[in-house]
Amino acid sequence: MKMKKIVASFMLTGGFLLAACGNGENSANEGGGEGEPLTLTFFSADLTQDDPFSNPVAEKITEETGINLEISHPVGGDEQAVPLMIASGDYPDMIFAKGDINKMIDAGALIPLDDLIEERGDNLKMLYGDQMDRLRNSLEDPQIYHLGTGGVTNTYNATGGTNQIALKVLKEQGYPEIKTLEDYEKALVDYMAENPTTEDGQDHIGLSLLGSDWRWLITVGNPSGFAGGMQDDGQWHVDEETGDTVYKFQLPETKEYFTWLNHMNDIGLLDPESFTQTYDTYIAKLSSGRVLGLADQDWNYMSAVAALKQEGKDESLWAPLPTTLGEEYVSQSTKDYGFTGTTGISITSSSEYQEEAFDFLDWMASEEAQILVNWGVEGVNYEIVDGERVQTEEDRENSNTNANYNVESGIGAYIWPFPAWGTGAVDSNGQSITRSTREDIVANYTEADKEALEAYGVDLWVDTFPTPEELGSPKHGKAYEYVLPSSSDVAIIQTEADDYTTQKITEAVLASPEDFDTIWEEMQQGLLDMGIDKANAEMTDLTHQRLELWGEE
Amino acid sequence: MESLKAVEAAKEVKQPKLKKAKTKITWKKIKDQKVLILMSLPFVAWLMVFAYTPLFGWIIAFQDYKPQNGFFGSEWVGLKHFIDLFQQPLFYSALKNTLGMGVLGLVFGTLTAIMFALALNEMRFTRFKKLTQTVSYLPHFVSWVVVANIVTQTLSISGIANEVLLSLNLIEAPINFLANPNSFWGIVTGADVWKETGWNAIIYLAAMTSVDQEMYEAAEVDGANRWQKILNITLPAIKPIIVVLMIMNIGNLINIGFEKQMLLGNNIVANKALVIEKYALDYGIGMFRYSFGTAIGIFKSIVSVFLILTFNSIAKKTGQGGLL
Repeated sequence: MKMKKIVASFMLTGGFLLAACGNGENSANEGGGEGEPLTLTFFSADLTQDDPFSNPVAEKITEETGINLEISHPVGGDEQAVPLMIASGDYPDMIFAKGDINKMIDAGALIPLDDLIEERGDNLKMLYGDQMDRLRNSLEDPQIYHLGTGGVTNTYNATGGTNQIALKVLKEQGYPEIKTLEDYEKALVDYMAENPTTEDGQDHIGLSLLGSDWRWLITVGNPSGFAGGMQDDGQWHVDEETGDTVYKFQLPETKEYFTWLNHMNDIGLLDPESFTQTYDTYIAKLSSGRVLGLADQDWNYMSAVAALKQEGKDESLWAPLPTTLGEEYVSQSTKDYGFTGTTGISITSSSEYQEEAFDFLDWMASEEAQILVNWGVEGVNYEIVDGERVQTEEDRENSNTNANYNVESGIGAYIWPFPAWGTGAVDSNGQSITRSTREDIVANYTEADKEALEAYGVDLWVDTFPTPEELGSPKHGKAYEYVLPSSSDVAIIQTEADDYTTQKITEAVLASPEDFDTIWEEMQQGLLDMGIDKANAEMTDLTHQRLELWGEE
Repeated sequence: MESLKAVEAAKEVKQPKLKKAKTKITWKKIKDQKVLILMSLPFVAWLMVFAYTPLFGWIIAFQDYKPQNGFFGSEWVGLKHFIDLFQQPLFYSALKNTLGMGVLGLVFGTLTAIMFALALNEMRFTRFKKLTQTVSYLPHFVSWVVVANIVTQTLSISGIANEVLLSLNLIEAPINFLANPNSFWGIVTGADVWKETGWNAIIYLAAMTSVDQEMYEAAEVDGANRWQKILNITLPAIKPIIVVLMIMNIGNLINIGFEKQMLLGNNIVANKALVIEKYALDYGIGMFRYSFGTAIGIFKSIVSVFLILTFNSIAKKTGQGGLL
């Protein structure tokens, strides 16, 4: 009797303990037997939605390589995923760690790829060619730890510009030239005065931003530099001649842009919910056709475009504009940055399948793979007509109107962050490896786009921008791709400064115009107190180090 | 047979008890209580494994911890991370926000829960009472992500709060509540109260139902009305429960989490929304400063222990009876 009680109490409590400790072994790395695909785990820092790797392109990849991917991604813009991974020592087989790659290298989590590339990376050698040096880690440790993405040879046939404006605004005003913020504002003001509401009676919104989460940097921070004729260096600005690097929000150009935003808020053209709405609300608002002006990038509002096309509201779509503060500034949106390749996929030291992973990545750089990830499956997404690939009508329709096209069809889902040939590369037949030739882009334009472009006398929206040749290429690539050394303070100062400016600039934009200067001055002082000068000096050093590593200096 | 043995054992235990101090642990006593000891053993083990063993990790707060060097290879830096922490202006604003929202949450959370429990307790229709109770504690099980969305929608410019105020002509133009830094603490507290009142009231309600009914009957004979009964019988009867819960909650004053602040916050109110845990996440682990993050954790624990001890001794001194 007593014994039974004891046993029972033991079993009960023991059961709880077991349940608490029952940490199942990672079952991902099973399989690999005859005919069964090998599952590799892969973490992608840039992915924002789940991808079960089950679409037709993924299936085809598995069929060709015998590799199945189990893809994970950070949830909700979480920045702690990689630090936690390092703290626990629990790595996937392959990782796209983005800016955190140096921490992974320091922790000994990544393997150098130099020898593998030399021995068995024929496709990769062909792809990177003389750009291989740009993959190297640093002057002290010039090994290769990642396979750069972003395409090696690129053309620039599409861009988001600085600002965007609804096609119906342009149409009503007889397609005026919009080069400066002043023109832009006038177009919006005039249109709003004539048409306060949409056809179905909703109020028009002049300019809507998304300043409530990390996209603040995209829709508020970045346009300030673009309008000042700066290239996209993230929160930094690099002087092309001297290599001097400064925190962007210390510059008079950005102040001028925010003064204008403050003015837009003052005259009621700025959406009052710009800094409080969530991404979902923003996309819903855009999809309703109420929003006339944006300061966003095309990839960020793609799903709203698909929704508007679906409903046939072509005239509510937006045209990219090369707007700047004034005629003396040149928009850099169509700049050719060259192969910058500082971010890409790495293979972890804890992986049991390093060679398999490497062979897989090498295959992804092959012509066959590049055609597959860019064009999809033959007979479904494209057909061969006269020896050339032609996208099927069905697929084109789907790609224009389906907001989940990438993950559902698999086309475009495995280009970034894998090794990629780029939009300017051609296959062995001389046909473009991607679907972004001028013809492809024109084919995806709506009637409203074509009408507007005809009025401007050009074929593509990028033709209204300066040409890449006029703009030249930066020698340092992009400053936001710098890998910040873990021993320096620059990363901490940058985070503090970013948090601070995000909040202060928001405050300044929403303040009454007479208070703007005071808040701006306060912010400048705050940045100095944080030690921004030190960060500027370190970033300048990093610029010079990169130029040396890349053999540009 | 067995019961006889037990009686004998009890006798044997009683005899030495007379001579020696009560707290003396003897083998016989252990034997006598072995079932109890065995039953508690797994929980002691649980406490050791999950609460005490991780404390060894605190040593990394005094090192420049690098995962590749481990506990033993990392450089010792003494109190550097604490000194660093106390020099950060951002840390002080995080501390202020944490304590501010913690105190507001504690005061309003406790007050509303007690008032709600009293109201329910006075209710005479049992069915309606049960229904109200169930409905009111359901929000406790709703995730903060959902609650934050409901709050954001309600308080947005085109939300129901503005619609109501406009139609009552109380305001002329819609107010963007979430864009006002000064109302952020209030919004968080309000959302917290909405979500947790029903749940927190359960324990008070349970305490109220155990109050001796004869006291109410006696009071009624003496001619006491409802208010008098509430003030003179119900509240004094549940006072010990209130004090115990207060002590426990005060220890958690600084551990208010960061979900609500993160989900309801935006860049306009960021200054008022930063709490210590978010600060530890962003500036500690998020920046690979494992040691710095741990230092913040230690600081938090010390503050918690200090608060508990202080309130406990206040409660004891004022004769309310402490927990420890």
